[in-house]
Amino acid sequence: CSRRGKKKKLIMEVMFQYSLILFAFSVQAHKEGNPQKLLEMNGHTAVPHSYDYDLIVIGGGSGGLAAAKEAAKYEKKVMVLDFVTPTPLGNSWGLGGTCVNVGCIPKKLMHQAALLGQALQDSRKFGWQFPEEVKHNWMTMTESVQNYIGSLNWGYRVALREKKVTYENAYGEFVQPHTVKATNKRGVEKLYTAERFLIATGERPRYLGIPGDKEYCISSDDLFSLPYCPGKTLVVGASYVALECAGFLAGLGLDVTVMVRSILLRGFDQDMANKIGEYMEEHGIKFIREFVPIKVEQIEEGTPGRLKVTAKSTKGNEVIEGEYNTVLLAIGRDACTRKIGLDKVGVKINEKTGKIPVNDMEQTNVPYIYAIGDILQDRLELTPVAIQAGRLLVQRLYGGATTKCDYVNVPTTVFTPLEYGACGYSEENAIQKFGEENIEVYHSHFWPLEWTVPSRDNNKCYAKIICNIRDNERVIGFHVLGPNAGEVTQGFAAAIKCGLTKEQLDSTIGIHPVCAEYTRPHNNFLCSSCYLSLTKN
Amino acid sequence: MAQRLALRRLLAGPGRALGTSAGRPSAFNVQDGGDFQERVVNSAKPVVVDFHAQWCGPCKILGPRLEKMVAKQEGKVVMAKVDIDDHTDLAIEYEVSAVPTVLAMKNGDVVDKFVGIKDEDQLEAFLKKLIGA
Repeated sequence: CSRRGKKKKLIMEVMFQYSLILFAFSVQAHKEGNPQKLLEMNGHTAVPHSYDYDLIVIGGGSGGLAAAKEAAKYEKKVMVLDFVTPTPLGNSWGLGGTCVNVGCIPKKLMHQAALLGQALQDSRKFGWQFPEEVKHNWMTMTESVQNYIGSLNWGYRVALREKKVTYENAYGEFVQPHTVKATNKRGVEKLYTAERFLIATGERPRYLGIPGDKEYCISSDDLFSLPYCPGKTLVVGASYVALECAGFLAGLGLDVTVMVRSILLRGFDQDMANKIGEYMEEHGIKFIREFVPIKVEQIEEGTPGRLKVTAKSTKGNEVIEGEYNTVLLAIGRDACTRKIGLDKVGVKINEKTGKIPVNDMEQTNVPYIYAIGDILQDRLELTPVAIQAGRLLVQRLYGGATTKCDYVNVPTTVFTPLEYGACGYSEENAIQKFGEENIEVYHSHFWPLEWTVPSRDNNKCYAKIICNIRDNERVIGFHVLGPNAGEVTQGFAAAIKCGLTKEQLDSTIGIHPVCAEYTRPHNNFLCSSCYLSLTKN
Repeated sequence: MAQRLALRRLLAGPGRALGTSAGRPSAFNVQDGGDFQERVVNSAKPVVVDFHAQWCGPCKILGPRLEKMVAKQEGKVVMAKVDIDDHTDLAIEYEVSAVPTVLAMKNGDVVDKFVGIKDEDQLEAFLKKLIGA
């Protein structure tokens, strides 16, 4: 052990001297503005086909990391460039991307915190005795969540290191064909070349573009590490981000209002979206419909402070005002594709949306540049999709595989107070694609057994199966509103992938007593403690 | 990062305990690579290096326990603390994967190591071995 240590020290000292010399030259080269010389300094010649790396991944999120780790398995020389541009309020985070730091993970944990609050209330009816007042401490929850995220950030770094993937915390942008410039937080620039590139830069929350939005409003990028309780909150938006955040904030006991421009959960089954909204409203979340904020002003500084929001109706000239401690903007996300030098390498993007069109091999219009994840045009913005796409892409590039990513029948779940799981077509899309006369919708309300004793809603949980009559009554859409919707939906997605028909579903015996059994709307099933109504649409 | 740091400082409490009951500080926080070189690698006395992280629960238990046992050795061994998020390059150099990782160093070389929590007796044995070896 000791000999290794001494050798290591010697090597370190020699390398230190060598890198000092290199540094001096590279500073000189950089001053001369000579990237070619810099390339030579970096150890590769003017011959264009000797690259630094086989693959450079720009973006260390769900998709980027999965692809990088997969490529390393094929002994490819891979680099990951990950950099978080701080939010307008100065917030930033570690390796792992949106999902790990400011998305799925903290969201689900805080949703769980809210569910536990509800469970505490329910527990009294089950015999648990404790003082009337139960309070929530935002700081304790946030610290726990951030600690877990910190361990994930570190875990990713270790994983990359173990797989010998080079990682740099630097902002990557293309400067010329096959070349990226990586700028770290101290402004130091380095150039790297690669045979292939993978763009996985993801998205960031959109701002309204009104006075006071960047100075006083927060986004999901700030919420999960907010160092003070947000207090009375206005959530602007009707996306799943808006509704999930509004949901858990209210579940923690805060006064929450949601301001919606038009419909809820655009792109989702609207029947289900409306049921979600109804449930939230009945459980104390206020909705202001058909209004948009036009101005946010600060009444008082503080943590939280007091903000005045002025909003205008979308249907007339009515203007309203409201006072809140926190304004959370969740009106959409924009792809990080406009400032990464795509023009320098000729990658086409949709100018309006910023999204990148790719073929079914995730290849952009430039053959050696690929893209995955949320930035893709006409694809789903989900972590598991990005991961799968990244892995399969790498297997095709280096493993001789031919499997393409299947974007059809991808299951999802919205973690609103009443959770919503879905797979396949929404009712409106099914009608549009197959014709109303060709689809059959089976649905049922159900009352989870766990909700009976504490007298919780007996007519809110709901399941809906959409079948294609012309194709053997194949199940083409599955929707469930109820507890543990994600757990219920996952297995169903596999069944749908296998071509599940209504008959097969009916002949599958249920598990009792669970909510999932009600996803098989069946004439013969009745239970005395359940409220079950079955109708054909 | 600013907000996360603010959050952590808010929750850090009265500050990291560096002092001991003997009044002489036996643990110090490594400031940078140079500091590590000077006070750990080039240290005349043997050093235990506690690699820890703010987000690591077990680290918060091991840290003070190790400091206490180091203090009991009456200056024969020095303790250095390295936050792996602040000094990732050091953590990588010494191949730290999980935390807490404690290295025993003598004359710049790693002579012993453990990962995870240990009780006081185990720590005492670890330290005595380092001093005696």
